[in-house]
Amino acid sequence: MSTKIYITGYGAIAALGNNVAEIKASLFAEKTGIRQGEKPYSEKYKVGEIRFSNAELIERFDLKNDASRTALLGMVAAKEAFENHVLHPDIRTGLISGTSVGGMDVSEKEYLKFLNGEVDNKEVYRNHPSGTTTQQIAASLGIDAYFNTISTACSSATNAIMMGARLIQSGQLDRVIVGGTDGLSQFTIAGFNSLMIFDEEWCRPFDESRKGLNLGEGAGFIVLEGENSLSKTAKTPLALVSGWSNACDAYHQTASSPDGSGAVLSMTEALSVAGLQASQIDYVNAHGTATPNNDLSESHALIRVFGEQVPPFSSTKSYTGHTLAASGGIEAIISILSIQEGILFPNLNFSTSIAETNLTPIQTVTKAPVKHVLSNAFGFGGNNSTLIFSKI
Amino acid sequence: MHLVLAEIIQRSFLVKFDMAFIHSITSIAHQDTFAKKNIWDTISILDETSSLVHPDYKEYIAPAALRRLSPILRMAIAASNYCQATCNSPFGAISVGTALGCLTDTEKFLKTIHTTSGSILSPTAFIQSTHNTIAGQISLELKNHAYNMTHTQNSLSFELALQDALLCVNAGKSNVLAGAADEAIDFLNRLNDSLIHAPVAFTSGATFLVVDQKSSPIELLAVDLNFSATNYKDSISKFLNQNGVLFTEMDAVFVANNADFSPQENVVNYINYTGFYHTASAFGMHMAHDWLLMEDKKYALIVNNLVANKLGLILLKKTDK
Repeated sequence: MSTKIYITGYGAIAALGNNVAEIKASLFAEKTGIRQGEKPYSEKYKVGEIRFSNAELIERFDLKNDASRTALLGMVAAKEAFENHVLHPDIRTGLISGTSVGGMDVSEKEYLKFLNGEVDNKEVYRNHPSGTTTQQIAASLGIDAYFNTISTACSSATNAIMMGARLIQSGQLDRVIVGGTDGLSQFTIAGFNSLMIFDEEWCRPFDESRKGLNLGEGAGFIVLEGENSLSKTAKTPLALVSGWSNACDAYHQTASSPDGSGAVLSMTEALSVAGLQASQIDYVNAHGTATPNNDLSESHALIRVFGEQVPPFSSTKSYTGHTLAASGGIEAIISILSIQEGILFPNLNFSTSIAETNLTPIQTVTKAPVKHVLSNAFGFGGNNSTLIFSKI
Repeated sequence: MHLVLAEIIQRSFLVKFDMAFIHSITSIAHQDTFAKKNIWDTISILDETSSLVHPDYKEYIAPAALRRLSPILRMAIAASNYCQATCNSPFGAISVGTALGCLTDTEKFLKTIHTTSGSILSPTAFIQSTHNTIAGQISLELKNHAYNMTHTQNSLSFELALQDALLCVNAGKSNVLAGAADEAIDFLNRLNDSLIHAPVAFTSGATFLVVDQKSSPIELLAVDLNFSATNYKDSISKFLNQNGVLFTEMDAVFVANNADFSPQENVVNYINYTGFYHTASAFGMHMAHDWLLMEDKKYALIVNNLVANKLGLILLKKTDK
């Protein structure tokens, strides 16, 4: 018998706010977190940058000294998500985190010293491996029964949530903290710059005039429990994870297929896992990076899955920037808030529909009954994943 | 005693299913092990001057792709193409483990950022630097639209990928590709004893295999993970006990570190054969698999004790097929 997957906690940090309450307030205020960058490597761009240095994060949130930005942000979000939970020997609890670059923000600085012939601190490289960031986040919560890191680029957190749901359903875990984290690094900014997919202005997802994305950083984690665990923790669930899927576009290492094949597969299978008809989806939190390629491909995919009745949709990356591996975690929380509040959060900066597909996203905070939300995340490598969140 | 057992049950992370069999397994390593009937015909203990033994990649990868692919990607694509050629239908899922990912391209892009003046950077190294490039390129080469996952948890990355493959088989997927790849770059040698302690030279390696419910000569009985192991002997006994076998029934035990075992035990150190990389236990599994193919063998255990307190266990059994 497969159990339902209950969500019993959430935590996030992003340019929008330092916790879920602040993020919620910014969402309602239609106030983006994207601003002109303040770091030497981000100052030319609009980014969803968190305005604390690593040292300030450690100080403000009382964190372990000696960790990368990715690990520190992850600790902040995972701690909030697990705040009212306690570890118990009868509840097998794990943690699965998604990250794309792990501890790059600290290792790239040491590596630059090395290249310049200066003395680099070799101990810093210990914090580089992606798996180490997860181990540090798990350790900060006292979790040592199980931890794992998923690295599927921009769909990492989404796949971490899916992995957690599958591990609970197969009986391997009772409770699991799942999500993702990515700190901005020079490596990432230079990488996306080399792909020439930045918009120098505020990103405009699903708009005809969109030119590209704004990067962001942050972390988002949710707590999943099966029935077995829920009977012991007696938590009041916030929502359910009812559907999930992972499919591969297998079209190009970085570009999405023009017809959105992988996205269609992913959305269709997630609906099937949830046992839902496409018409039952009340809101789609789109991947919507605001690159010309993604938004057109995703629009085609939405039309292929939903036909003429594409549900209300938006890309909240216009608020957060593209937080890469963390995006699926942060957007899972926005999806849950949408269900809890009965609110559709808008796609900022939209004015004109894409001519070819003519879809119009939600443009202002809108009240609506929300029972089922579909959330997409598509990564480099064609790693396309979809989650469905449902009202209890 | 009861408390100790409860502790082990709580901390170990066992995945056991009714039936899963290994259908194809191949490795590219510092040994001549690619597309072999039995690697014990060719392998020997490595000396410090060993180098990666490459197959003829042109047989598996188109020339244009070959030019831009780093060693780790070449290894993974060639090995998975070989595995696909042995299956009569496309992989039903792809699950890859890598500890440090695509280091060659990561380092190349870091150097480019710091040495290129102006803002025109070639994106190729960046595109190929993410950990999921391995699984992504496998799917792209094979035009495979199935489940595609990348696990990266340091020394346990392979076991996590294998466990995910078992979950996929259990969910009804057939011909599930599981594997691991890691590559060494010179820079790693500077980090020996800071990033990790490597008692032998850093090397590169890739092992890929196919898991399916259909019967084959070697059954994959169970995979277990322990993230806070203190007493390895107890963890191993408990694991074998859960699978109805005793340590003394093992025809061979493949380990990363002999220190946890007495000299009398039938122990083979796979690191001596493949050099040091975090996912070398995948090569250990290949050694165990081919060991069992020889006469009068029944059980083999792979113990990944590469890093203190992190324990991976894999149990294989020869069937009557």
